[in-house]
Amino acid sequence: MRSARAVAAFDLLTPATAEEALSALRSAAPGALAVLAGGTDLLFDLDDGRLASRTVLSLRRLPWRTLAWDGAALTIGSTLPLRTLENDPGVRTRLPGLYAAVRAVGSVALRHRATLGGNLGRSAPASDLIPILLALDAEVELVGPEGARTVLVDRFVQGSRKTALRPDELIRAVRIPEARPSAYLLQRVRPFHDISHMAVAVAYSPRRESWRVALAGFPPRPILVPEAGELLRGPRPSSAEVVRAAETAAQLAPIVADKRASEEYRRALVKPLLERAVRACASSGGAT
Amino acid sequence: MTASMRPDARAKVLGQLAFGADLEAPGMLWGALVTAPAAHGHLRSVDLAPARALPGVVAVAAADLGPLLSGRSGDPERPAFPRETVTYRNQPVAAVAAPTLPLAREAAAAVRVVVEPIPAVSDVEAVFPDWPGSDLGASPHVAAHVLARRGEVDRAFREAGTVVRETYRTSSVHPVALEPHVCVAEVHDDRWTVRTSTQSPFGVREDVSSILGVPEESVVVDGAWVGGGFGGKGASFVEPYALLLSRAAGRPVRLALSYREEFLLGRTTLPAVVRMETAVTSGRIVARRVRLLLDVGTSLPGRDFATGYAIGFLLGPYRCPTFEIEGYGVRTNKPPFGPHRAPFAPQCAFVVESHLEHVAREVGVDPLAFKADHLWHDGDTTALGQRVAHFGLPTALEAARGVAEEWRRTAPAGHGVGVGLGFWSTNTPAGGEARVRLTPKELVVVQGEREIGTGSVLVGLAAVAERRTGLPRDRIRIEYADTAHAPYDAGVFGSRTVGALGSAVDQALRNLLATLAERWGGRSPVTLGWENGAIVARAGTARRPVSEFFNAAESEAGALVAEGKHYGQPGTIDESLVVAGTFYPYTDFTGAAHVAEVTVDRETGSVRVVRYAAFHDVGWVVDPLSARAQVEGGVAMGLGTALTEEALWSDDGRLLNPGLVDYRIPTLDEVPPVDVTFVEGFLGAGPFGAKGLGEPPIIPVPAAIASAVRAASGAHVTELPLAPERVARALKSR
Amino acid sequence: MTSPVLRLTVNGRPTALDSVPVAERLLDTVRWRLGLKGTKEGCRTGGCGACTLLVDGRPTLSCLTLTHEVEGSGITTVEGVSEDPVGARVQAAFEAVGAVQCGYCTPGFVMTLTGLLKERGSAEAFEELLNDLAGNLCRCTGYASIVRAVAAVREKSP
Repeated sequence: MRSARAVAAFDLLTPATAEEALSALRSAAPGALAVLAGGTDLLFDLDDGRLASRTVLSLRRLPWRTLAWDGAALTIGSTLPLRTLENDPGVRTRLPGLYAAVRAVGSVALRHRATLGGNLGRSAPASDLIPILLALDAEVELVGPEGARTVLVDRFVQGSRKTALRPDELIRAVRIPEARPSAYLLQRVRPFHDISHMAVAVAYSPRRESWRVALAGFPPRPILVPEAGELLRGPRPSSAEVVRAAETAAQLAPIVADKRASEEYRRALVKPLLERAVRACASSGGAT
Repeated sequence: MTASMRPDARAKVLGQLAFGADLEAPGMLWGALVTAPAAHGHLRSVDLAPARALPGVVAVAAADLGPLLSGRSGDPERPAFPRETVTYRNQPVAAVAAPTLPLAREAAAAVRVVVEPIPAVSDVEAVFPDWPGSDLGASPHVAAHVLARRGEVDRAFREAGTVVRETYRTSSVHPVALEPHVCVAEVHDDRWTVRTSTQSPFGVREDVSSILGVPEESVVVDGAWVGGGFGGKGASFVEPYALLLSRAAGRPVRLALSYREEFLLGRTTLPAVVRMETAVTSGRIVARRVRLLLDVGTSLPGRDFATGYAIGFLLGPYRCPTFEIEGYGVRTNKPPFGPHRAPFAPQCAFVVESHLEHVAREVGVDPLAFKADHLWHDGDTTALGQRVAHFGLPTALEAARGVAEEWRRTAPAGHGVGVGLGFWSTNTPAGGEARVRLTPKELVVVQGEREIGTGSVLVGLAAVAERRTGLPRDRIRIEYADTAHAPYDAGVFGSRTVGALGSAVDQALRNLLATLAERWGGRSPVTLGWENGAIVARAGTARRPVSEFFNAAESEAGALVAEGKHYGQPGTIDESLVVAGTFYPYTDFTGAAHVAEVTVDRETGSVRVVRYAAFHDVGWVVDPLSARAQVEGGVAMGLGTALTEEALWSDDGRLLNPGLVDYRIPTLDEVPPVDVTFVEGFLGAGPFGAKGLGEPPIIPVPAAIASAVRAASGAHVTELPLAPERVARALKSR
Repeated sequence: MTSPVLRLTVNGRPTALDSVPVAERLLDTVRWRLGLKGTKEGCRTGGCGACTLLVDGRPTLSCLTLTHEVEGSGITTVEGVSEDPVGARVQAAFEAVGAVQCGYCTPGFVMTLTGLLKERGSAEAFEELLNDLAGNLCRCTGYASIVRAVAAVREKSP
C-alpha cells in the first residue's frame, strides 16, 4: 500500500538565516526539497508514503515567529504557531473572523505547531484560513534571491496545492492591511475537529466602505466572489441585500462536488452561511 | 482524594500501565504486512527477493508456510496468506520483519506483488439489481440465505386495511479502538507464544491453531491490557502473521497495524439494505415482511455468522402473528464482516423503530402507544418461537414515555423529542470457567480475561465475589493468567463477561463456601468477612478465621482453592417456521428505551443533540459507577452510528476514508449529558440476575435520534448516518 | 541522516540522545528510545490526540513532530506531569471521578487539559475549554465522566 518511492529517511536542513535558507533552496534539484514549517501536513504525508523529497528544509530557526500590530494593520510571521495567533487579544477582538477561522483548524495541540505560512504554502481546497485572508485583502510577503515581493492572497493561491510561490522563494509573513469586522462560518459533519465542506468568510472595510465575500470548502481553491460583496452596502446591509448577495454568490461560485459533499448541497449552503456571516459581522461592530 | 472504584484508574492516569502496544522483547524485530494492490484478482506472484535483500529483513509468504510449519497445514478455508486469489483490497499476501519499523515498512513496499485483476463487486444493490423480486439462491455471491415464515403472509397483506412499504439503507461502521491491533510473538522450538491486545485470549489460541495447524497445546496466548475492543479485537488478526515471522526469524517479532491499516483491513459492520413491509388493520399489525440484503464482505459461504444472527433484530421486540423474513448475506470484495459493538443491532433497531413509527403515523395512531401495544411482555413468544421472560423493556418504555412527554412540554420551539427501543440477547451460552483462591488475607479470582476498559473483569467479577461472600471489595483481587495457566473462557464480548464468566466465578465461590460450611460441621449459610486483619468465615453470629479450615496441604500452600464453570443454555427457535438457513437463537433478553431531544438546522441539516435519557433493563446493577459509564459510552458510540460515522466504499471495493479525519467518531463537543436509569428486578441468567450491559446502550441510539429529528423537523430519514447533507435532502423532499 | 547529539530536557532531566534519525517523530523517541510509554500511539496522523505531550508547556501532537525540530525544548510526558501541581490535580480528578475506562486516551487528555489550564488559567470559559478538548478522542467513556473531571479540576483551581 506504500509506494516504493516513498522515503523513510531524509536530510534535515536547519538554516539560521533567511539567506542560508534561500541558498539551500537554490541549490536543490526541482522536487528534491520540501519546506517544513510546523510539520503537521508534511508528517502526515510522510506516514502516508507521499513524501518523495530527499531533503527537508526546516524554518524553525528563522526569526519569523512574529506578530506585530501597526495601528490597524497586522503582520503575522509565517512560522508563528496558529495557537499563538489565536491567543493574541487583538486578534480575538479586532479580527473576529480570523479568530474563528484559526479555531476551526484541527485541534489545540495541532495549532501549537501548525502555522499560517504552512497553511498558505499547502493551499488545500478546504483550508479554513485562506477564505478569511481573502476577505481581509491579506497579502503574502515572499522572499527570494531578488529580495522580497508582496502578493495578494488571491493571487498567491492558484489552485489545489498550487501557489504563486517560486521554487526559490519562501513565505516570510502575511499582512492584513486593516482590522475589520469579519466573520467565518463553516458547515461540517462535526463542528470541531473536522474538515469544512462549505465555508463563507466575510469582512467589511469601514475605510473603503465595502464588503468582501469568500467561499471555500470545494476544489480547487477558496475564492472571492466580488459580485456578491458589491451587493452589500454599508456596515449593516438590509436583509434584501443579503439575500441577493447570497443568491449571487451561490449562482456564480464555481462550486463542485467531491467525496465530502454534493454540488447541490454546497450551493444550498451558501445562502444560510452567508446570511449568518453578514449578520455576525454586522453585529461584531467596528471594533477596529 | 477519594479512592476510585476502579482498581486500574490510578495506573492509567499516571501512564504506568503497559498496553499491548507498549510490549517489547529483547532482540525484537518489527513487522509489517504486504497487502494486495487490487480488490479481486489472480495472485500471479509475490516476489520477496527485494525485501530480503535489505539488511536484517525476514519475509514470509504462502510459499514459505510448509517449512515454517514443519509440514503441517491449517484450515484450507482460512489460510494465513492466499495462494491463488485475492478477494479484497489490502488483503495480506506476505509479511516482513526488520530491525526497525521504517526498514520493515520499506521492505514491505519493496515486495513485488502481481495481481491479475478480476472485476470486483462492492455495492450489494449493484450485485442484485432485481432484489427483492427475484430468487438469488444459486448466485456465487450469496454467502448465506435465511428464510422463515409463519401464517398466510400474502393473504394477510391482501386483506389488510393499510400496507406500508419502505426501503432503508445503513452504513458501514468501524469500531475505532484507539489502540490498533498489536502483538509480540515469540516462537521457540514448537512453543508458539504471543502476547496480544485481545478480547479473547482463548479465541486467539483457537484461531492460531486453526490457521496455522499448530496444536492448541503448543500455542500460548498471553493477553495484554487492551486499549479498547468494541468487538474488533474478538478474534485473531495480527497474531498468525507475527508468529510466522518470529518462526522464520528465530527472534521475537512485534506486529502492529498502522491506523490506516486498521481501516483498510479491518473487519467490521458493512452496509445493508432492508425492505420493510407492514400490514395494519384497525391499529393492529396483522403481518410483516422483512427482507435484508447484508454485505458480508469476503465471508465464506457457510461461515457467515452475521446474516442469521442479525436478521432477528429486524423484527424488533414486537409481537407479530404472521410474517415472512428473508435475508441474504452477500459476498463482496471487502474484508470479511466482523463484530462492532452489538453487530448490526443498532442499524436494525433504527430500521424497525423508524418504520413502525412511520406506520403508526400513516394509520393515524400515536407511535409510542402503537409500539407499546405490540411490545413483547413476559409469557409472549417471539416471532421465531422463543419464550420471553423477565423482560424489563415494557417497564423501561413506560418510564421513557413519561420523560419524553415532560421534555416535549418543556422543550423550546424547534426542538424535537424522540424515543427509540432496542433489545439484546446476552450471550451467556458462550461458556467460561474460573478458579478462586482463598488465603487468610485475600480472596483471589484467577481467570483468563484482560480488562478491556468496561470494568466487566476488574470491577464486575469483584462485585459478584463481594456480593456472594460478603467480603469487602478491597480484599478481593482479580488475577489474570495466560492460556497455559488460566481456566478456559470464551472472551470479553456479547455482553457476557459478568453473565457467563461471572456465573463461573459465582459457582467457584459457592463451592468454596460449601467446603467451608461442610468443614464447619454443616453450618449454613457461611459467608466471609474481614475482621482484625484476617479473613473470617461467618455463620450466624459465629466467626472463625478461614485458615482454621485449611487442611494440611492447604495450610502449606497457604490457600483453599475452588473451581467453577458456567456453560449457559442456548435459546431454541421453532424450527417448523424455518424454510432456509440457520437463525441464531437469542436467549436471556434485555432491552432499553432511549429518549433524545435534538435541534435540526433546517437550512444546513445539522443535528445537535441537546439532552438524552436512557432506561435500561439490567436485572441487577452490578456496580453503579461502571454501569452508568457503560451507558454513557454506548450512547456516545451510538451517536456516531446515528449522525457521523460512515465508511465510504467505491464501486471497486476501495475504502475512501481510511482515517480519523474523514471517518468521524464523536468528539467531546457533540455528546450531550446522558441521564441513566436502571430498571431492576427482571432477573437475567447472570449472577444475582445480572444482565449484560456492554452492547445494549448503543442499540436504541440511531432510532431515538431519527425519531427526534423527525419530531423536530419533519424529516423522515431512511438512511444512516443522519449526516447534515442527508437530513437536508430529506427536508427538501418533504 | 542522523545528527550526533540531540539535547532535550525530559520531565525536568537534561537528556542527550545519540544518533536520532532526522525523520524520527517525538512520539517514537519518547516511547521507544526513552522508554516513556505512557504517551500513547493512536492514529499517528494527528486525528486522535492520544500522543499529546507538552513541549515547553504547550500541548503538542508528538506524532506530527520531528524530534529534531524540538531540540533544546523541555518535554513533559504523563510520567512527569505529576511533578506539576496542575498536572497532579488533573490526574487526581480523572482518578477520583472515574474518568477512565480502557485508559488509552487518558494520558492525552491529562496532557492536553494540563496544558490548557496552564496556558489560559481559569480565565477560559468552560465551554471554550471543552471545545479545546475536542481534538482528544475517547471511544469508551462518551466523555461524560471526562467532563465531570474537567469540572472538578476547575472547581479546585486556586
